[in-house]
Amino acid sequence: MIFMPEVLTILILNVIFGVFALIAFVLSVKIFLKWDLNSTNKSQYKLEKQSFLAATIIKYIFAIKVPLFLFFIFTLDKISNVLTGAMCAAGVVDATAYGTYLFILKVINLYLFAYWLMLHSVDSKEEKQPYTKLKFAVFIGAFFFFVAELILEGFMFSAIDVDKMVSCCGTLYSSTSTSYISNIFLINTPLLLSLFYGNFLLIILFYIVKKRYLFAIANLLFIVVSLVSLIAFFGTYIYELPTHHCPFCFLQKDYYYVGYAIYALLFGGTFYGIIVGFIQSSKSEKNKNYFISILLNSIYVILLSLYPILYFIKNGVWL
Amino acid sequence: MKNKINIYLIEYAINAILRQRFKSFFIVTVFTLLTFLLTSVFFITNSLRYELETTVDALPQIIVQKIKAGRHYDIDTAVVDDILGISGVNDAVARVWGYYYFENAGVNFSVVGIDRYEKQYKNSFTKLVENFDFDDINGTSTMLIGSGVKRTMQSSYYKEYFNFIKPDGSLKKVQIAGIFDAETELESNDMIIISKDLFREIFDIQESKATDIVVKVANPQEIATVVSKIKLLFPDTRIITNQDLKVSYQNIFDYKSGIFLALFVVALFTFFIIIYDKSSGLTSEEKREIGILKALGWTVDDVLKEKFYEAFLLSFFSYSFGIGLALAYVYIFGAPLLRNIFVGYSQLKTSFELPFVFDFQTLFLVFFLSVPIYIAATLIPSWKVATLEADEVIR
Amino acid sequence: MIKLKNITKIYEVSKNDKITALHNINLTVQEGELIVLKGASGSGKSTILSLIAALSKPTSGEVIVDDKQISKLPDNFASRYRRDNIGFIFQKYNLLPTLSVRDNILLPLVPLNPHAKEVEEKIQRVMKRFQIEHKENVIVRNLSGGEQQRVAIARANVNNPKIIIADEPTANLDENLSHHFIEIVKELRALGKTIIIATHDPLFFGFADREIEIHKGKIVL
Repeated sequence: MIFMPEVLTILILNVIFGVFALIAFVLSVKIFLKWDLNSTNKSQYKLEKQSFLAATIIKYIFAIKVPLFLFFIFTLDKISNVLTGAMCAAGVVDATAYGTYLFILKVINLYLFAYWLMLHSVDSKEEKQPYTKLKFAVFIGAFFFFVAELILEGFMFSAIDVDKMVSCCGTLYSSTSTSYISNIFLINTPLLLSLFYGNFLLIILFYIVKKRYLFAIANLLFIVVSLVSLIAFFGTYIYELPTHHCPFCFLQKDYYYVGYAIYALLFGGTFYGIIVGFIQSSKSEKNKNYFISILLNSIYVILLSLYPILYFIKNGVWL
Repeated sequence: MKNKINIYLIEYAINAILRQRFKSFFIVTVFTLLTFLLTSVFFITNSLRYELETTVDALPQIIVQKIKAGRHYDIDTAVVDDILGISGVNDAVARVWGYYYFENAGVNFSVVGIDRYEKQYKNSFTKLVENFDFDDINGTSTMLIGSGVKRTMQSSYYKEYFNFIKPDGSLKKVQIAGIFDAETELESNDMIIISKDLFREIFDIQESKATDIVVKVANPQEIATVVSKIKLLFPDTRIITNQDLKVSYQNIFDYKSGIFLALFVVALFTFFIIIYDKSSGLTSEEKREIGILKALGWTVDDVLKEKFYEAFLLSFFSYSFGIGLALAYVYIFGAPLLRNIFVGYSQLKTSFELPFVFDFQTLFLVFFLSVPIYIAATLIPSWKVATLEADEVIR
Repeated sequence: MIKLKNITKIYEVSKNDKITALHNINLTVQEGELIVLKGASGSGKSTILSLIAALSKPTSGEVIVDDKQISKLPDNFASRYRRDNIGFIFQKYNLLPTLSVRDNILLPLVPLNPHAKEVEEKIQRVMKRFQIEHKENVIVRNLSGGEQQRVAIARANVNNPKIIIADEPTANLDENLSHHFIEIVKELRALGKTIIIATHDPLFFGFADREIEIHKGKIVL
């Protein structure tokens, strides 16, 4: 077990989150079952008050979760210094069976919580508060994902064994390894790129014709497609090394921290895109969300495309 | 999600904090104290760790000691030739060193013997050999001492020379030829450097014996292999590599900071409870104030936001203040008292400077251990206040 | 226009102890009217005021203001309605004694987060009108009773509300100040505001558009 103070911090905060999320969960269930805006009962007024508590708790958890996620990545990086074989955070993620699942779960939860906050914001603006039951139902579902993340995180940290050798990103993401991430590299490059740009074009298309649900689904797909193409293709141009596929290393100083911009743009763009489909809102709100999504996604695509293009201009050849 | 920051609300929050003088003062004091302690501990360990890294790299790769009946014994210098015969070994040198107990001051000096014609195992020693002459001067032997040693000797009125007491009870007068600076502070403090002959004279060690043997290996990856070969040749030896030293020092750090952290968590938990309790107990004055605000049109969300600003301002201010104090305490004043918990491996209790090591991650670590926890403690009490019925309060 | 339709309000002091403050009240107030609610303390006047200000919710019945049902508004919306439409002058003023005149008047504006210029304009206008601008930075508890009242009135008007509600405004004032208050009320009426005053001060009787008497939770016809 790793006893680094960073790990302890994360675990302590997780306990606090767990307790508060549980409170919010209990309240959500009550509200989901008994909420009736038209009733003038004392119990309804009590529920209204309690809905504020639940909302505040969820906002709090999300507000801390975002920087904590970054902190988590840095902690993994620090752990990689004492873990033989791991050269960066990627190696630590792979050190246990839980690492990859935990990571995916964390990202999903970020999207879920952000979605909840959006719902809440839209709900609060309407006098009739039409989404109250829905939003707390969503939280009831999200709660289980969240608790799963907390538990998994506990398991992962306790399972990290300083004495066990671990593969680094070099072997993890190479075409010869046997991890299932390496299956990505079986897709050949032209196909991958056409999927990537094609998906992006679809997004633009659905934006122009304003088809909500298709737009949202295209964004959902885009998350997967762009991550895959980032690891398999664009990453190598950021590192200027055909074998370097690590999705973490470009968060570091050596690459001007460009990783933050990349992930922020991707998360922001796809999140707003999904919101368009999943949340009913006024026309102006919707257009705003459409616009933000298209803007962020476009910047993302341009940013990524610049790397290979600039490389080609500088060197005259592709990797 | 995209609200502009409400300056008026912040102003009101600041005002509210200042109006509750005692409560705010109490919170800021305790909180600052906690962050101060925690940050100081982290700063100290970071600095020591840095010192350690530089020290360890200067340490020999392999140290061979003779063990007899579980205890450390003088080793035959002949072993050096055998070790030199092992492939991969660059160099092997017999060391003579030990501790001299100076009864007057109640401290141990580390004493190291160097032979100026030999290849030194430490770069700093090479320089010393070039600059100083170890032969007798005016009939007395000479030595080089570290700054900490000088201080101790001076406090016992030994200014120009020192009298060692030999095992047979007779005195050996040794002149102080100079004071040196080793590569890092932790080393120079308690060291005395003399010629090997003088050492053997003072401690009565035979010509053919040495304290231990240091081995230098051409390829650091080969250390483990060489170690096993030496072990085969000389089964009665104990072999320590620099990696072992590094790990054991690291473990001591982690262990000590771990205990400290555990204590801190307990303190934090107590603080949490106190805050919760204090925030929950609403004076009628506070209730009235919130009732008025709501009667004037403040929504529950507005009150919650204001309470959040209060909590955040208080905790962030305390956090920053605590960090500032810790910076001053550790790096300007040298962390008196606290660092004695951590510095265990210098026998002399003399002062040395803690190098300035700045680590962003430490700041974030302390932040996450303080601010969110404080805010968590105020969540439910703030909510209770914000959802008070205005009607009942203003009658 | 304000309408109270079949309003009943029951306070639950404890499980078995219920007080019926209002019994099936029906009341309509036209825009621009000045209404005086008469009645002994405990008769239910203050409850009516609270209901109109959406400070409390009726046990049954509806409160409708300008064709909008405000009695069932969720808390946030009720507060916003109050902020934008109601200027409440409390019996005990309910100022924050440790804040300055200016900071007290500023309070209803704070959650709106307006531009500094707008804020200045509003505060200055209202301080001038109620003649308290020379004490702008004085801490409220150091003011005289009359000055405090003017601050309370200024605060109630800073958002330019359509409806002014006053609960026993002259109960703690001498005759001089009471007369002064009545002058202010007449001014406000001239501005077209709807004014509802709960009082048993006889000075008010005679110049209001209507006087409504409340007795034990019912309107006396």
